[in-house]
Amino acid sequence: MLNIHNASVYFAGRNGAPIKALDRISLEIPAGGIVVALGASGCGKSTLLNAIAGFLPLSEGTITLEGKPVTGPGADRGVVFQKDTLLPWRNVVDNVALGLDFAGFPRSVARPKAQELLQLVGLQDFAHSAPYELSGGMRQRVGIARALATDPAILLMDEPFGALDSLTREQMQELLISVWDKTKKTIFLITHSIDEALSLATHVVVMSPRPGRIAARYDVAFVRRFARTGLWGAVTSDPEFIRLREDIRALIHQSDLPIADMQRSAAHE
Amino acid sequence: MSDAIAECQRLAATEAPAPRIVALRDVGLGTGKTLGVSAATIVVLLSLWGLVSGMRLVAPLFLPTPSEVVAQFVAVFQDGYANATLAQHLSASLIRISLAAAIALALAVPIGLAMGLNRWAKGVFDPPIEFYWPLPPLSYLPLMIIWLGIGETSKIALLALAMFAPICLSAQAGVRSVPLERVNAALSLGATRWQLFRHIVLPSALPEILTGLRIALGVGWGTLVAAELIASTRGIGYMIMSASNFLATDVVFVGIAVIAACAFVFSYALRWLETVLVPWKGKS
Repeated sequence: MLNIHNASVYFAGRNGAPIKALDRISLEIPAGGIVVALGASGCGKSTLLNAIAGFLPLSEGTITLEGKPVTGPGADRGVVFQKDTLLPWRNVVDNVALGLDFAGFPRSVARPKAQELLQLVGLQDFAHSAPYELSGGMRQRVGIARALATDPAILLMDEPFGALDSLTREQMQELLISVWDKTKKTIFLITHSIDEALSLATHVVVMSPRPGRIAARYDVAFVRRFARTGLWGAVTSDPEFIRLREDIRALIHQSDLPIADMQRSAAHE
Repeated sequence: MSDAIAECQRLAATEAPAPRIVALRDVGLGTGKTLGVSAATIVVLLSLWGLVSGMRLVAPLFLPTPSEVVAQFVAVFQDGYANATLAQHLSASLIRISLAAAIALALAVPIGLAMGLNRWAKGVFDPPIEFYWPLPPLSYLPLMIIWLGIGETSKIALLALAMFAPICLSAQAGVRSVPLERVNAALSLGATRWQLFRHIVLPSALPEILTGLRIALGVGWGTLVAAELIASTRGIGYMIMSASNFLATDVVFVGIAVIAACAFVFSYALRWLETVLVPWKGKS
């Protein structure tokens, strides 16, 4: 379980005045759940993920993972980035084994384990390909396998499918659900797609911008139903799904900056 | 039905003429082949040289004919020139430039990487390097000779200094070009500082370092000839200088051809090294 308590982040503004990017966020990510942070750009969802990953220190507040405070990046939190960050000088299986290599596992342990994870994401036949020989979707799958290799307590995903075309994206969502179903990993994922949030989450957290705040939370169960049935259509055409989608859309539009405010910030820049 | 379709496809495959292969039009040069044009240019230049010198439009003292240069090459190769064989001149130059390149690499790569990674290293090394590297090596050659004598040391030191800066600057640029996400990805996989350096920073900077080495070798050949002009008894540069003193223009041509051939071989060797060490360059 990951706990975020009163987390605030201030960045340096152009004139030296601090800009509040996250405003006293408190959030609990339960073990085995998929918490999806949803919001327009600038709502602080990436900032929040960077803080959980340990790439960004908090200005105020605490983050604890299974009781231990987060002070920096570590292998207990696997990260999948929007842009793939595979090492071009390592082939696919060696990329997946990177974290195991860092941890000092011998090749004879790390490679079979990496191969196993490639199987999990359906890339067992591409173990010896170079990353640049794979498509964007395949590279992202390697990224997921790599993040899982060190058996992290939580998987952090920063708009992992944002750069993919919509067809590949749907396949990747299915893949993620099957991986989650098999590994029971805790996942924190950020997206700006309402449909993606509702389809993947056990808990949706809607964020509003300037400063980043949590505007609403929803507990949903569509992902469990999908994992059971494997039918997208039945899930996305569910009246409850459609109602929630409209609710969230209205909420996001309503939390947009008023016109006057926008003009003020435009004049500022 | 499907049989009929297959039959049609078979007929189409056998009867259709070879399809016209198309691709998007390029802007600028694109992938247009230049090899033929370049070969033709070389042929034209060589024949022009042969024509002008053969018709004695220019005095042989200024422009020997190609056949004279070839004959002189054979003569220098067999009998040597200025108290040394061509092989001795060449090996003297090659040893100087290789030693200097090795010294420059051994110093410039660690220092450049450190400057890219560490505030202190950057602060300490920046002023001296920024001061000396725009200077033409010939301007501090006298200092090298005064401090290190007229032997090999001053020549190799001069070459190493000239080659140091491009490698050092490119190693620094290499570190700066490492994407932050790549570093963060490694940290979140549990990399220690040393592992981050060894597995992420160093390989990421390698393409830039190789580019720096290529530039350095170019600078090295330029500086080599200058260094050998002064107080030496061996070396291709010395051979050229000595020949020019006796107005042996054909020997000067031989020397130039040898240097050009060496520089070409070095440049190709480095390109080959690039394909071996950084096959991913430009692909990700």
